[in-house]
This record gives sequence, C-alpha cells and structure tokens, in this order.
Amino acid sequence: MNKITAFASRNIKEILRNPLSYIFCIGFPIVMLIVMTIVNSSIPPEANMTIFRIDNLSSGIAVFGQMFVMLFTAITVAGDRKEAFLVRMYASPMKSIDFILGYMLPMLIISVVQCFIIYVSSFIISIIVGVELPIMGMIMSLILLIPSSVMFIAFGMLFGTFFDDKAAPGICSIIISLGSFFGGIWFDTDGTGGLMLKICKFMPFYYCTKTSRSAMSLDFGFENFVLPLIVVIACAGLLSAVSSFAFKMKMKADLS
Amino acid sequence: MIAVEAKNLTKRYKNKTAVDNINFTVEEGELFALLGVNGAGKTTTIRMLSCLSMPSSGEVFVCGKNCVDESYSVKSYIGISPQDTAVAGNLTVRENLEFMSKVYGFDKAKVKSRCDEMISLFNMNDVQNSRAKTLSGGYKRKLSIAMALITEPRVMFLDEPTLGLDVLARRELWKAIELLKGKVTVILTTHYMEEAEHLSDKIAIMLDGKIAEMGTLSELEELSGKTGLEDVFVEIAERSKN
Repeated sequence: MNKITAFASRNIKEILRNPLSYIFCIGFPIVMLIVMTIVNSSIPPEANMTIFRIDNLSSGIAVFGQMFVMLFTAITVAGDRKEAFLVRMYASPMKSIDFILGYMLPMLIISVVQCFIIYVSSFIISIIVGVELPIMGMIMSLILLIPSSVMFIAFGMLFGTFFDDKAAPGICSIIISLGSFFGGIWFDTDGTGGLMLKICKFMPFYYCTKTSRSAMSLDFGFENFVLPLIVVIACAGLLSAVSSFAFKMKMKADLS
Repeated sequence: MIAVEAKNLTKRYKNKTAVDNINFTVEEGELFALLGVNGAGKTTTIRMLSCLSMPSSGEVFVCGKNCVDESYSVKSYIGISPQDTAVAGNLTVRENLEFMSKVYGFDKAKVKSRCDEMISLFNMNDVQNSRAKTLSGGYKRKLSIAMALITEPRVMFLDEPTLGLDVLARRELWKAIELLKGKVTVILTTHYMEEAEHLSDKIAIMLDGKIAEMGTLSELEELSGKTGLEDVFVEIAERSKN
C-alpha cells in the first residue's frame, strides 16, 4: 500500500503543478457552462429546447470534464514512459498493480473534485439565471458519475500505454470530440431517433450523460437510470480490466 | 564476497547480438566500470543486471539472487541511475527523494533523515526546494544518483553518470561517486577514459558486445604494454580487430 500511496501522491502533484490541467479540467468546462447558459438565454421559449437549461447542461458538462481527466491520464502515463521515469521505477520493487492503482486513484480524486467544482459553479449560475438546481440531484450525480470517471481514466491509461506522448493527446482529442457529440452533451440525442440514436446508443458516452442527467433530476427509473448505469459500470469494469492487462503486458514487453 | 556475477551473459535482438557471452564478477564494495564506445553493449549489460531486460542466455546474480527467477528480491537490493536522468520534473529535489524512500517503505523519520543525508552528501542544499525540471544538467544527474542511493542499495548501477556534463560538474560528481567506494558496490558504464581511470577499482573494456579485457588499470597497462587508459583502450581495440 505504501508504494501505491507514494506513487499516487507523486502523480497527483505532477498533475496539480501543471497549469494546463487547470485550464482544461476546470477552466474550459466552466467557460462552456457560461457560454451555453448565454446561448440558452437567447433561445426563445417556444423552441422548447431544454438541452442547455442549467440542470441538463451541468450534468452533461460534468461528463465533458471527465474526458479531460482521460487526456491528462494519457499524458501522464505516456510522458513517464518517454522520460525513462518508468525505467527507474521498473527497477524498484513496484509491481504492475502498484503502477496501475498509483495512476488511477489520483485521477479518480481529481475527477470527483472537478465534478464538485463544476456543480458549485452551476449552482451559482442557476441562482444568477433564476433556475432551480436540485442540491440532492447534484449530490446524487456527483456520486453516480464515479463509474464514468473510472471508464474515462481507464481509456486514458490505455492510450498512454500504447501511444507516445505526442500521439496519445491526439487520440484523446478524438474521443473527446466523439464522446461529447455522441454522448448528447451538446444536443438532445433522444430527440433525433433513427440511425443517429442507434449510433449514440452503441457508444458508452450516451449512457454516461444519461446516468448523470437522470441522477440530477432524481429520476431513478429503469429506462433512464438503472439501465444506463449498468452499461456504464460494465464499460468501466471492462475498460479497467483491459487497460490494466495492457499496462501489465507493456511492462512485461519493456522488461523483455 | 561476490556482489554481482555474470555467467555467459548474452542478449540477442533480431539481427544483432548486443551482449555476447560475457563473464565477470564484482566484489562487494568495488567500483567496477564497463568502458566502451557507443553501441558496445554497456547499457544492455546494465539493463540485464538491474532486471530491466531478460538475458537471451546465460545467468546473472546480484547478492546471490538470480536476476530472472528472483527479480523481486534483486530489486530491493539495487539502485539505478539510468542514462536519461529519470526524475519527476514537477516535484522538488526533496520531494523526489522522499518519493523514492517511501516507495521502498521507509518510515517518516527515516525518510527525513535519509533525505537530509542525501541533500548534504550531494551538496544540494540550495536547490532542495527547486523543481527538478528547472535544475541544471549537473544537479539533475546528482539528484538521479541520490534517488538511487537513498534507498540504501547494496549494488548501484550508474549508466553514463556524467554524460553531457561540463568539466566542473563532472569533477563534482566524481567526488560524490568516490565517497561511495567501499560502502556500496558500484557498476558504472562510461565512454570517458579519464572517468574510468579516475574512479574504478576494476575496468572491463567492452567491444562489440564482448569483454575484450578486464582488470585493474595497472593490470591492463601491463597486458597491453601501454601507459594510461586511453592508449591501453586503443591498443586493446586494435588487437581485438586483428
């Protein structure tokens, strides 16, 4: 446990001391929150478009923010591999599980703190625009977003393991674009139907946003909450297993 | 007592034999240098000795433990300073040292005392709170070696410890390495003749993956009929070609 704690503490310091992590993980989601609230105020009520209403927007942007934690996970893992830092650590009595948990746990903490900041910002905005944001909904969403955090961190681990520090951020950018589009963060996917909805439902991002929004509106029905949550937990579990296996194999290959 | 022993150690890649059937032993407390030009197989040898690469054939033992079958035990005896400095850039000098000692399970009091000791030994008082990425090349090397030494290893591997340093930084680092003599077994790789000559108890001259000759400087001088390591090296390299 000492090894995991020491490595996790090092990783959290490395990320918190990188100014870019504040810009991307906190600054950018909050800017989008403000911009989209302004957009929402410009949409006439007769359009009946609720996607940018603060309750829907904040729970979607919380998922959007998690995608940047994926980016920083990938950058950290790929960067350590590039700078021979992992070579030194491979020669220490650390096992692959120490590395995997040492990378994943601090990212999970960062992700939860990020989500908390996004919801506090959303609450302030909700007071300004005069829309009620349920506090219990925010708390539930904060807790129930943990599986999707794990899923995105596992994605980051996987990309950081397989790609170098130049390619990994590029791959993550593709996932961020795909995830925010097909996840229904910027438009109402359920309102589209047809092939578009089928594509969205084929990807895990849709279920992350759905879980977050349902938790925010305290809708714990099977269709809107239980099923999406099961899908997210399954994806998080599967991706964590795959990324852990990939890291272990890569470590073995590096030491061959 | 033997600290490190390589028996018929070989590393083959697809089209190349990087290390070709080498044998040597290093006594406890000895400073052993692997001297050779770039691509001679020095780093590959160090990698196998420090459990970072599997031998294609042959065996290697550190403190009596097999580096392949008992790598976890071996890793608790060794410290390594790789060719690339491999420090955590956003952590301060002290935090890097604390991190390494915590990985090796030291308690809070020991972490502090070992950090103080290393900072003093490597003369890093002025930079102890500076982030590693802001340090000069010389300080980065010192920190890298201190990170290997803080864990109280029985065997230390220094891969090209003074590569790219100016003459003053190199001399300062030599002083620090000399302090380790007799206390820790040190295996270093270098292609600087004066470094091997200045620091080593025993020198192995590596050419094309093989150990061409091995011994103390005076033994190598006697063997080659030349004086000074540079002339000895050239003579042995030319003999080996013919």
